[in-house]
Amino acid sequence: MSETISEYAHPEVLVSTDWLAGHLDERGTRLVESNEDVLLYDTGHIPGAVHIDWRADLQDSLVRDYISPEGFAELCSRHGITPDMTVIFYGDKSNWWATYALWAFRLFGHEKVKILDGGRDKWIKEGRPHTKEKPKLERSNYPVPAKRHDDSIRAFYDDALAHMQARGTMIDVRSPGEFKGDVTHMPEYPQEGVLRGGHIPGAKSIPWKTAVNDDATFKSAAELQKIYVEGCALKPGDDIVAYCRIGERSSHTWFVLTYLLGYEKVRNYDGSWTEWGNRVRAPIERS
Amino acid sequence: MTYPPKLAAIIDLFEALSEEEKRENLIAYAEQSKKQEPKPGETFELEDVRKDEECTDTVGIFLQVDAERRVHFSVTLGPQVQTLTKAMTSILCRGLGGSTVEEVLELPADFVPKIVGGQLVRIRSQTVYYILTRMKSACTVWRNRERAGQS
Repeated sequence: MSETISEYAHPEVLVSTDWLAGHLDERGTRLVESNEDVLLYDTGHIPGAVHIDWRADLQDSLVRDYISPEGFAELCSRHGITPDMTVIFYGDKSNWWATYALWAFRLFGHEKVKILDGGRDKWIKEGRPHTKEKPKLERSNYPVPAKRHDDSIRAFYDDALAHMQARGTMIDVRSPGEFKGDVTHMPEYPQEGVLRGGHIPGAKSIPWKTAVNDDATFKSAAELQKIYVEGCALKPGDDIVAYCRIGERSSHTWFVLTYLLGYEKVRNYDGSWTEWGNRVRAPIERS
Repeated sequence: MTYPPKLAAIIDLFEALSEEEKRENLIAYAEQSKKQEPKPGETFELEDVRKDEECTDTVGIFLQVDAERRVHFSVTLGPQVQTLTKAMTSILCRGLGGSTVEEVLELPADFVPKIVGGQLVRIRSQTVYYILTRMKSACTVWRNRERAGQS
């Protein structure tokens, strides 16, 4: 964790591996592991952690959308989570998927959320305990949220288009090759269904991983200010839309902008490039 | 399609398992992936070590082909490689060892879901095909070199 953690806009949203090691049995908290690697949790996880899978648990299995409020209530109840509980997320790939799960929890109005700075990699590298034993938790009765907050932290295609036309700040967090339009998918990986390469006109390229250190912790507030505020000429109160390919990497940038830099109006365009790059007549820029 | 015998045995085993048992066995195979690395003193006709952007770590494919054109693969994986990829590494090294170059090149990928199971076959789990793709790629290069040497 950055030594200047107090300089983040909301430092309370991060917990360190040291803190967590001393609070594994903390009442009123639930530890959630969320990874890209679908089997990683089963190979061993932090004691007491439950597993939430970004696709199987958070996404609708038929329509390209997130689960319903009823589905969210069932997911939380299954893991013994209550609305007043602080959910601490962590995962692989510098918390890439943990921030995605956190963003999804915020979609349903669950406000008490935190991230383990450095995520799974730092915990394991420090030789801290992990287990294959899954916690036996009493089922809770999480009430069905009144709504999903799509309007405040999520952007749809029409929102992103209007934002682009209004010359609002748009951040493309994909790799430079994807931004330039040289590639539409990662090398050696199967094509995920994007017909055109490039980026949304006017978008700034700031790959998501520039926000993290080699040990998977977040960069300091000063470094993040330089990357995002100077890099995108952000002003206080700016309305920002972030996107990637399917909305997962951009949830990481959403987290950084919202919690670490304190921007209050940040939306994740989760349709991202797999929607925009396929959309008939959607404007595209290459550079 | 008839699969190479060793691979067919592994497929048969997995097809009889429940989703939960599949996961347990995949993890067991993943934990064996270090054993697929080249042994000290081993030599190979083709070595292809690459690091791809963003999603995977370095993967090295080492290919040896004997006089009967039968393959032996060894594989090195970086620490960030996904568990499913590690599992498929062990499965393919064991399942394809002793097959001919042509058998590897003609092998369809339709056996992968039979091993991995429907629950895990999702967009991101395309990474389970990665090692097979790299092994086929190594065989293609080997065969092209062979043909070039003959011409």
